[in-house]
Amino acid sequence: MKKETGSVFRELGYFASLGMSVALSIFLGLFLGLWLDKKFDTDPVLMFIGLALGIAAGFSNIVRAGKKGRKF
Amino acid sequence: MQHPYLILTSFFGMFGLDGWAAKHPHVTYMWLAMIILIFLGWLGGKSISMVPKKAQNVFEVLISGLEEFMVTITGDEGRKSFPLVLTIFIFVLFGNLMGLVPAFFPPTANINTTLALAIIAVAWSHVIGIQLHGVKYIKHFLGPIPAMIPLFLPIEIIGHTARVLSLTFRLFGNMAGHELVTIILLTLGGMFLAPLPVMALGTFVALVQALVFFLLSTMYIAGAIEEAH
Repeated sequence: MKKETGSVFRELGYFASLGMSVALSIFLGLFLGLWLDKKFDTDPVLMFIGLALGIAAGFSNIVRAGKKGRKF
Repeated sequence: MQHPYLILTSFFGMFGLDGWAAKHPHVTYMWLAMIILIFLGWLGGKSISMVPKKAQNVFEVLISGLEEFMVTITGDEGRKSFPLVLTIFIFVLFGNLMGLVPAFFPPTANINTTLALAIIAVAWSHVIGIQLHGVKYIKHFLGPIPAMIPLFLPIEIIGHTARVLSLTFRLFGNMAGHELVTIILLTLGGMFLAPLPVMALGTFVALVQALVFFLLSTMYIAGAIEEAH
């Protein structure tokens, strides 16, 4: 396979998977917070912390993709 | 939602395992896929010669083409994990294509199979990272500034768990959706030709999803190989 084709496929796969990983990170943080809330009986506190962490994780994916996009 | 008649379920019914096989079609069809793939591997490997014959030619083009493609992404260190990733690719491709045969159930249309594959791929990328970097591999999870470690560590752990989930849900959703649409068109539009356009699309989806799974596991391995930021 030629080198340009490989790089196009690589970018395509990477950026196509970006949206899904952002959404899943947010939900993962949210449900982690909810689960820990049930476990420690601290109702809304850990849910918000988990949600914030999840959003941060999702957006760190975007930032990293932007940094990587300049290198390709 | 699956094909109303599954041939392996009736096959297992001959041994009195009817109920079990009807409940777990993904397990029986995964065994079938494994048997066929092992047979193909034996067929391709039994008479290796310097001047390749017909079957060896096909396997060599497939394997060396994908290997070069992977090495362009990961660099030379990634060559070691190529057998695992190629196995996942061929298995996923074969499992997806099994959904196009009547009376067959694609093993990748069940979330248990795809979750297992995703856990294997992501866990292997961490194994590679630990092998290459040793203890320093933990720097991948700590972010650039030492004072912000308590913030970055949970973020990175959530991000890495989301990788497993995104691999799982993408493959499962595509294949289960394809099965569902085929069944719906079959029940709505008559017996024979109605699901044909979706099945033609399904061949394309099967190839693309297998390629995406291969590509993303390669990307994760490449991410584990490179130095921490």
